[in-house]
Amino acid sequence: MKNFAYINAASEKAAIESMSDKALALAGGTNLLNLLKEYVLAPEALVNIKGIAGLNAIESFEGGLKIGANVTLSELLDHAEVRGRYPALHQALYDIGTPQIRNMSTLGGNLCARPHCWYYRYEYFDCKKRGGQGCAAIAGDNEFHAIFATDGPCVMIHPSSAGPALVVYGAKVKIAGPGGSRDAGIEEFFTLPAAAVARENVLKPNELVTHVLLPPPNGKSATYEVRHKESHDWPLAMASVALTMAGETAQEARICLGAVAPVPWRAAAAEAALKGKVVNETTAGEAAQKAAEGAKPLSGNKYKVQLVRTAVKRAILAAATGRRV
Amino acid sequence: MATVKTKKTTKSKKASQIPVRYRVIGTRPIRHDGVDKVTGRAQYGADVQLAGLLHGGILRSPHAHARIRSIDTGKAAALPGVKAVITSADIGPVTDRVVDLGEGATRLQHLRDNILASGKALYQGHAVAAVAATSPHIAQEALRLIEVDYEVLPPVLDLREAMEAGAPLLHEDLHTDDLGTKSMQPSNIAKHLRFEKGDLEKGFKKADQIFEREFLTSMVHQGYIEPHNATAFWNADGRLAIWCSTQGGFTVRQQAAAILDLPVSSIKVIPMEIGGGFGGKIHVYLEPVAALLSKKSGKPVKLVMDRAEVFEATGPTSGSHIQVKIGARKDGRIVAAQAQLAYEAGAFPGSLVVCGMMCIFAPYDLEHQRIDGYDVLVTKPKTAPYRAPGATNAAFASETVLDEIAEWAGIDPLEIRRLNGAKEGTRRADGLVYPRIGFLETLGAARKHPHASAPLEGPNRGRGVASGFWFNVGLKSSVTAAVNSDGTVSLTEGTPDIGGTRTSVAMQLAEVLGLAAADVKPQVVDTDSVGYNDVTGGSRVTFATGLAAIEAARDIERQMAERAARLWGVPASKVKAAGGVYRHATDSKKKITFKELAARLDETGGPVVGKASLDTSASAGGGFGTHIVDVEVDPETGKVQILRYTAVQDVGKAIHPSYVEGQLQGGVAQGAGWALNEEYFYDDQGRLANASFLDYRMPTALDLPMIDTVLVEVPNPGHPFGVRGVGEVPIVPPPAALANAIYRAAGVRLRQLPMNPGRVLEAILTRDGKPPSKA
Ligand SMILES: Cc1cc2nc3c(=O)[nH]c(=O)nc-3n(C[C@H](O)[C@H](O)[C@H](O)COP(=O)(O)OP(=O)(O)OC[C@H]3O[C@@H](n4cnc5c(N)ncnc54)[C@H](O)[C@@H]3O)c2cc1C
Repeated sequence: MKNFAYINAASEKAAIESMSDKALALAGGTNLLNLLKEYVLAPEALVNIKGIAGLNAIESFEGGLKIGANVTLSELLDHAEVRGRYPALHQALYDIGTPQIRNMSTLGGNLCARPHCWYYRYEYFDCKKRGGQGCAAIAGDNEFHAIFATDGPCVMIHPSSAGPALVVYGAKVKIAGPGGSRDAGIEEFFTLPAAAVARENVLKPNELVTHVLLPPPNGKSATYEVRHKESHDWPLAMASVALTMAGETAQEARICLGAVAPVPWRAAAAEAALKGKVVNETTAGEAAQKAAEGAKPLSGNKYKVQLVRTAVKRAILAAATGRRV
Repeated sequence: MATVKTKKTTKSKKASQIPVRYRVIGTRPIRHDGVDKVTGRAQYGADVQLAGLLHGGILRSPHAHARIRSIDTGKAAALPGVKAVITSADIGPVTDRVVDLGEGATRLQHLRDNILASGKALYQGHAVAAVAATSPHIAQEALRLIEVDYEVLPPVLDLREAMEAGAPLLHEDLHTDDLGTKSMQPSNIAKHLRFEKGDLEKGFKKADQIFEREFLTSMVHQGYIEPHNATAFWNADGRLAIWCSTQGGFTVRQQAAAILDLPVSSIKVIPMEIGGGFGGKIHVYLEPVAALLSKKSGKPVKLVMDRAEVFEATGPTSGSHIQVKIGARKDGRIVAAQAQLAYEAGAFPGSLVVCGMMCIFAPYDLEHQRIDGYDVLVTKPKTAPYRAPGATNAAFASETVLDEIAEWAGIDPLEIRRLNGAKEGTRRADGLVYPRIGFLETLGAARKHPHASAPLEGPNRGRGVASGFWFNVGLKSSVTAAVNSDGTVSLTEGTPDIGGTRTSVAMQLAEVLGLAAADVKPQVVDTDSVGYNDVTGGSRVTFATGLAAIEAARDIERQMAERAARLWGVPASKVKAAGGVYRHATDSKKKITFKELAARLDETGGPVVGKASLDTSASAGGGFGTHIVDVEVDPETGKVQILRYTAVQDVGKAIHPSYVEGQLQGGVAQGAGWALNEEYFYDDQGRLANASFLDYRMPTALDLPMIDTVLVEVPNPGHPFGVRGVGEVPIVPPPAALANAIYRAAGVRLRQLPMNPGRVLEAILTRDGKPPSKA
């Protein structure tokens, strides 16, 4: 790890003034420190944002929730409203890492975490994100990479398990920068590599996520994650689903996939397929087929197409029935 | 020295019929090192602190195969805080020779080159240079200032490609030892071996059906929790002290002496507590480097690997390509069996393919066999043993083919194993004739276990069975045991305690002397403080160091009897000892306990010390295991869930049953990880992509059900208590048992490890036909 200066920011303003492409925000550090150790990132300074007042609360807000960026995943999991009203988010968080990791990880850090792609994480591989010429994943071991938006320039999967749930709830991200504060829709927040290969979101180097705004949920929701191990592991594929129900019929459906694309991947065709249908095994299965449409798997991850179908079907049924399947 | 294999042999043979009553053996006392371990006080290698300690780091090759044109260490040496920089040039010249350091014959040049590459880097992670500095941080920074000029060469990653003529060569001067003759052309095949028994062609002619299958397994790592570490101090008087995490202080001493060209007596190795080894902590990696850095800086130097270094640059176990051809009759009898095993050696020769060859058909009594083995160089780290090295890959192949044969013949999987099972007198293809073994007993116990007949309800579930064999290597152990005046005994051992052997060895001494386990104070000491000991490996310590402890106890008992005789003024022959009480043979009033006698040693001639040094190889007892597993396969994700697992094993005699059960459970856990999760991902340039536990998926307790164990005790006739090797057998059957269970659950036969969700799912999606009936 390269030597760095440590800046303890007391306020949003102080943090923003210190932050740059050479001075990175430090939240829980569960992601950032690994990258420093591997010299993937070698900033001159780290700006600790955990001491900023007001970024560590969960408050009621316009019938929904306003969640400070520094709130830890454990705190979210323990929060009665998150558990009761936002089951898709609760279930997504529940499967992240280990208790120790969830105790340290913040929601802001989870949304801004850098890719889990192993070609990004080891400096000796070619990686466009790190300024390289090519993408080692395309010819390499890509069983854990994207199956959507694989035309390049980068086939990472977005690492945030919270992302898809926030998408189906229509969350907003509050961003503070030198010019003040703005809200970005969660889907606008995440950006595809084609837009700017070095980054995964709209943040500028001196901008900070301060809050996540969750509107009130209107319906039933669930997340289903397929992963390899029972214990701490990354998802192979996941789906978050939110349904506005009228009886047994889905009036509206929002479906978002995780771990299959460089951003949380909205499955619009699946949503359309489910809209107006009575939710059951058959309709959930049909929507699941639609969710996988347009997938362009890489050489080693065709199996993930089926995992998407499985995750979507099971998430839909879980949302509709309130039971895990 | 041949050991206790005298009259005791016949005695303990009888013991299999008449249960012997023990006072200590078979009980479950608290381990002697327990408090230190659970309170965090136990000292591991990374805890070593010495005055003036420097911290080292190692520069590793980013290329899998590259010629090192030059190394410029100037900038690194100039960085403030840096006290020494070394490369292979600092090892000094030595004439190459063949050395045998208890791990088979190796070329000294290869040993040295694996420590610090000289001409070529042969795998990504190969050590190229090293630095010692006043802080670990400065050492890391200095490494980045070393400039290495590499000529990058094509890597060779697939062992089948490596075997082909024209493949890029790792060692231009290496010729195949082809069944004893040297090949004309240099090659990546270091060795071709063969075992043969009977007449294979004749055997196949008798077959009603011949099954020919091909298997692939990936390179996997032992995954011990504690990374390698070494601290060395090269004193001004030329004496070298090494503190490290190792399975054997003496093997570190031998290897370091050979590499550094020092007499063994000038090196003292202090084995610290060890956080797992499983075969991976026998080769030295850091010790000679730390020594050279210390020599150059004049200060003690500590090196500690990080997890990536452990994955990239220690000794994982061989990936393999195995072909099996078995001929069977309709009645389930195997009439001929052939196998060809190609194992990755990694960058230097020496895979344990020979063990795979010995184990592949070891559980069976087969008249006609031929087994060929190939030790193949690839541009990956030099492989090391991993718990029953070579046997797990081999059993995955043979035991799944046997399952197919059972299904074809319409015979129960346990029954087909019984029908063909090896017993006392069976000769293996490599020539060994079994003494008393307990394979059939494991099958009987498995059949009787409720698991074997429990109904398997629900869809997508299946039950699999597999068996396996592993040796008990015996080898050499020395102990001394000093009687204390309070009636306890201080026991000094030289075999590092990995699985609770302080206690299992102490218990054997206690049994002989009539003491409680807690009355024995065992410790593992440095190489200057005890006689020679081979490594903790080959499932040998409870057996071999145990034998030494038994001998030392008898030595003590004899001396204590003499002391009692002296007290009573009678000839020693008049004193009989039993169960810790010394009695006059005829005068029943004259008796004294061990403890009373211990308090009176000073008046009878001074301290009593027992000792023993043994080569136990001739009386070692191998073991067999039979496993039953139930799985559920999710047909929509390919995920395999282990529902129930039972491991049955002939353990000879369980000295401390909890530790034996723990060995069985641990072996199953590792075997399950190997089967379902673990693999090395190398890119086409030979760079490891998953050198961390984030991506190298080892199972944890949450991934496994409670593993039920059944200890079958068929005593080893070569040990007075009947002890067999137990630690390695349990990793052998799991991949095959799981593959067989997956087949019964999902109708797909997987012949490649790991059987991860992607692979299982693709097999299911492309499967023809329907799932078979349940086992
Ligand atoms: C074993 C393991 C398993 C895991 N499994 C999962 C999983 O299944 N799903 C999943 O989603 N994650 C998983 N994670 C990742 C984990 O969730 C992230 O590491 C964590 O969420 C990051 O949060 P942090 O607070 O530690 O961020 P940090 O490591 O402190 O920061 C991460 C990045 O975000 C930036 N950053 C942090 N906060 C802000 C902010 N408020 N504004 C702007 N930039 C910011 C930092 O500069 C840095 O670049 C796993 C991690 C481990 C170690």
